[in-house]
Amino acid sequence: MEKSTELIIKDLRKTFGKNKVLNGINFHLSEGERVVVLGPSGSGKSTFLRCINWMEKPTSGEIIFDGEVVMEKNIRRIRRDIGMVFQHFNLIANLTVMENLILAPVKLKIMKRDVAEKRAREMLRHIGLLAKMDAYPAALSGGQKQRVAIVRAMMMDPEVLLFDEPTSALDPEAIGDVLALIREVADAGMTTIIVTHEIGFAKEIATRVVFIDKGKIIEEGTPKEFFAHPKTPRVAEFLKKVL
Amino acid sequence: MSEFFDKVAELFSTPEYIDSLLHGFLLTLQVSYFAILIGVALGTVIALIETARKTKWTAVPKFICNVYTTVIRGTPMALQLFIMFFVIFVIKGFPSIIIAIIAFGLNSAAYTAEVIRSGILSVDSGQTEAGLALGLSQRTIFFKIVAPQAIKNIIPALGNEIITVIKETAIVSMVGMYDLNMAAKDIGSGQNMASYIVPMFTAALFYLATIYLITFVVKRIEKGLRKSEMRGAEK
Repeated sequence: MEKSTELIIKDLRKTFGKNKVLNGINFHLSEGERVVVLGPSGSGKSTFLRCINWMEKPTSGEIIFDGEVVMEKNIRRIRRDIGMVFQHFNLIANLTVMENLILAPVKLKIMKRDVAEKRAREMLRHIGLLAKMDAYPAALSGGQKQRVAIVRAMMMDPEVLLFDEPTSALDPEAIGDVLALIREVADAGMTTIIVTHEIGFAKEIATRVVFIDKGKIIEEGTPKEFFAHPKTPRVAEFLKKVL
Repeated sequence: MSEFFDKVAELFSTPEYIDSLLHGFLLTLQVSYFAILIGVALGTVIALIETARKTKWTAVPKFICNVYTTVIRGTPMALQLFIMFFVIFVIKGFPSIIIAIIAFGLNSAAYTAEVIRSGILSVDSGQTEAGLALGLSQRTIFFKIVAPQAIKNIIPALGNEIITVIKETAIVSMVGMYDLNMAAKDIGSGQNMASYIVPMFTAALFYLATIYLITFVVKRIEKGLRKSEMRGAEK
């Protein structure tokens, strides 16, 4: 029996030296939710996302994933279930597209090599990049890299997928392709948290919008109420600038 | 001019001289080769310690490595060689070639460690993060992701270090060892000044040819390693 996905974050704080980036974040995520995190640059939204899978180790607070408190000794196992897509793609430069996709599933003995390769091939065909199977990342465009990175995360069959500004480093044409793939992943029922500046996309895809400012969640709600009737002046001001 | 060619003819027709040059050259190669082996092995260990995460287990080794590289790089090689010969290995009958190899090996390790350390640190942190996010172990991340990329940055600088060691071994003549440099001086001495030219230039050619060969090999390796960076590259 599979437990249903649940992520609970209690009073999460993160400081870099004297710089307090997160000042007590409380957050709850249930299976099937698609949360979009908005906020001005420097507000801590990326740090918040990166703390969830300990890309940044939280200074204090608790992260509970499927009933388990995230700790040094279980973080590696938990990371398998929390996929991450980075702003700068982070495809492994010395590995081909295929090797990027199968490295973790094979190394972590989640799949046999031939099964992983078959699955990778299917996914690459689906995103129209099967021909690039044996190419190195340097030979791909930004949009292609990011779509491969999304597929790489999907290869692990994660319970939650974190997107850290997935389109910020892309040109407008590539943005469309990447957003289409994220939408498809989301429509398939994937639980996601997306940090993005694409307001239109946020409106359309989110089941919930969270607004972070100065390291705190200052407002959250459904896209409908968030965009139409912001409760705080800070969000109203932000929306006026970006819409 | 004809005197010069006479000297050339004399050098290459006197088996004793050729024998001396080759003996010296062999010693230069032996000291360099084993010193580089020690340098790369110890340098790798030092670099790994220096780039390891700071924990209570690594703090002391990190400090020791730091002191080691600072002292070695902050003092003259010739002085280190003297200390090895006249302070540490004063045991009678201990083969000088071993002492020289240790001295150059320990020296090269400090420089090689720097080369490897900066090679490892030059790998984009996003590469490590990608591995971490997938749940891979530090070990897998190092061997599958970081090391293969670091080697590309390390090889050219390591080639330089190898070249430096080969040329630097010429100072073993200061402790009376008969290397290529010493052989050239030996053959030339005891005669008039002009006679120095031929053996010295011959020795120079030996050094130059050796180093040219190494440069060539390093370039080839470098080219092979850069394959994945080329845009059209496929496996």
